[in-house]
Amino acid sequence: MLVNLLNIRFKQAYREILKIGLFRIAVLLGLAIMVFFFLFMQASQLPNASYASIAILLLIVVLHIKRGDRLFLRINFNSYKWVYFVEYTLVTFPFLIFLMIHSYWYLALSMVFALGIIVQLDFKINRISYNTRIQRWIPSQCFEWKSGARSSFILIVCVWLIGLLLSFFVGSVPISMMVLGVISLNFLENGEPYQMLVAYEKAPNKFLLLKIRQQVVLLSIVCAPLLLSFLVFHYQLWYIPLLILLVFCVLQVYATFVKYSFYEPNSSSPAAQLLLGVGIVSFMVPVLVPLVFLLTFRFYFKAKQNLNFYLNDYH
Amino acid sequence: MITIENLCLSYGKIKVIESLDLTILENTINGVVGLNGSGKTTLLNAIYGLKSVESGTIRWQGEKVTKKVISYLVTEPFFYSNITGNEYLSLFKNSSFDTNKWNELFHLPLNQIIDEYSTGMKKKLAVLSVLKQDKPIMILDEPFNGLDIETCRIIRSVLLRLKEKGKTIIITSHIIETLTNLCDYIHFLEGGKILFSKEKNEFEEFEKELFQNLENKSAQLIMELLG
Repeated sequence: MLVNLLNIRFKQAYREILKIGLFRIAVLLGLAIMVFFFLFMQASQLPNASYASIAILLLIVVLHIKRGDRLFLRINFNSYKWVYFVEYTLVTFPFLIFLMIHSYWYLALSMVFALGIIVQLDFKINRISYNTRIQRWIPSQCFEWKSGARSSFILIVCVWLIGLLLSFFVGSVPISMMVLGVISLNFLENGEPYQMLVAYEKAPNKFLLLKIRQQVVLLSIVCAPLLLSFLVFHYQLWYIPLLILLVFCVLQVYATFVKYSFYEPNSSSPAAQLLLGVGIVSFMVPVLVPLVFLLTFRFYFKAKQNLNFYLNDYH
Repeated sequence: MITIENLCLSYGKIKVIESLDLTILENTINGVVGLNGSGKTTLLNAIYGLKSVESGTIRWQGEKVTKKVISYLVTEPFFYSNITGNEYLSLFKNSSFDTNKWNELFHLPLNQIIDEYSTGMKKKLAVLSVLKQDKPIMILDEPFNGLDIETCRIIRSVLLRLKEKGKTIIITSHIIETLTNLCDYIHFLEGGKILFSKEKNEFEEFEKELFQNLENKSAQLIMELLG
C-alpha cells in the first residue's frame, strides 16, 4: 500500500515537472543545485547546521499543516501517520545525508525524531474569514483583493498598524510595506472559475491591463499612509519606501502575467507559485533583477495566448 | 437557430463526439439525454467554446457561435473563495437585472460568503448568475441536481417564461420526467452521436421502449454476475 502511494507521488511529481517545461526545469535544477550546495556548506559547522535543521523542520511543519490530502489518507490508510513519516523523511533525506557526512549523527537522529513528532500533529489551521465593512470598499471586480483581504484580514491590519504606529523607526515602514507586498502577491495564487474571467467581456490584453491597474492601484492605496508617515519622520530617505513600492508594483505586473500564463479554472498552479517565488527572490539578489523583467516580458505573451482560449470572442 | 454540422471531438485518442449533426430551433427548450459518458457535457462545452473542436462547425443564426450569446450553467459550479454572493453576481454586467427581486425566488443570503453556502445554495447562485447574463442562448448542464422540489418548480417556470420571451435553451438532466415536462425537443446522445431527435410527444411514447431495452440488457448482465 505504502509503495503504491509513493509510486503515485512520483507520478504526480513527474506530471508537475512536465507541466513546468524543459527550460524552466533547467533553471530550477540550477537553483536546486545552489540550494543543495548552500545546505551542504551550512551542515558542515555548528551552529549553522542546527539553524538549518530547525528551518527545514519548520518548513515540514508548514507543509504538514497545509497539505490537503489528510482526510483522503486518513480514510484510506490505517497507518497514515507512517505515510507522512516516510514522505517527510524522503523530503529531508538529502539534508540528513549532509549531516551524516559531516558526522553530526545526533542532529540527524534528532531531526528524524522531530519528524516522528510532527506527524503526530493532527490539526489544520482554518483561516477565519472576516467579512467586514472594510472589504466592501474594495470594488467587486477586484475579487482577488476582496477574497485576500478577508482571509488575511488580521495579518494585514496588524502589519499595517505596526508599520504606521512605529513609523518613527526607520525600518518599520519598509518592512511593513514589504510584508504587505508579499501578502498581496499571494492574492493571485488561485485561478478563478472561467465564468468570472468571461464576465469581464474583454480581450486578453485589455483584461490583463485592467488586472494590473487594479493590483497596482490597490497596493498603492494601502501603502500610501505608510509612505506618508515615513516621509514625516525620515524625509531625507524618501526614496526607500518609493523604491519598495515600485519593486512590488513591478512584481504585481509579473505575478499577474505568471498567474494567467498558467491559468486553469478553479485551481492554483504549482509552476506559477514557484515562479512567483523566483520573482520575489530575484529582487533580493541585484544580479537577478533583469531576470524578472525578462520573465515579465516572456509571460506577457504566454498569458495573452493562454487567455485567448477563454476570451477569444471579445477581440 | 443553432446548427451543428459534422462535429468531431476527442480526449487524447478517445473519440467522444463523432460526426455529430444537430439543429436547435430558436425559442425552444431542448433536452439532451444520454447515458453517463455519452458526451453530453462535452457537447455543451464545445458549443460554449470550452473545448476545441477537431472538425465541424457550430453556428448561431448563420455565424460562428461565440460566448457573447451564451450563458452556461455547469454541473458542479465552482466559486472563488471568500467572496459574497452579491459580489459574485455584480461581476456580470446587466443593469436591468434586479438581484434582490430575483432573490425573492431563491432566498439566498447574498451578503454571506459563498464558502458558507450549501451545495443547493451554490447551485441557486449559479442559476441566478446565468439569469443575470440574459443572453439569447442558455446552456444548462444538470440544472436540477442538488435542488429541492420547490426550487426545481421555480426554475422550470422561469425557463418556460424565458422561452416565451425568445430564449433558446439547451438542457441536460438524468431525470427524464423533468425533461419530458419541460422540453419541446429531446435529443438522445449515444456514442458521441445523436441517435435521434424527437418532439416531446413522440419521445414519451418512445421512452418506455428505449429504457425497457436498456433495463433488459442490465438485468441480463446482473444475472450473469450474481447468478
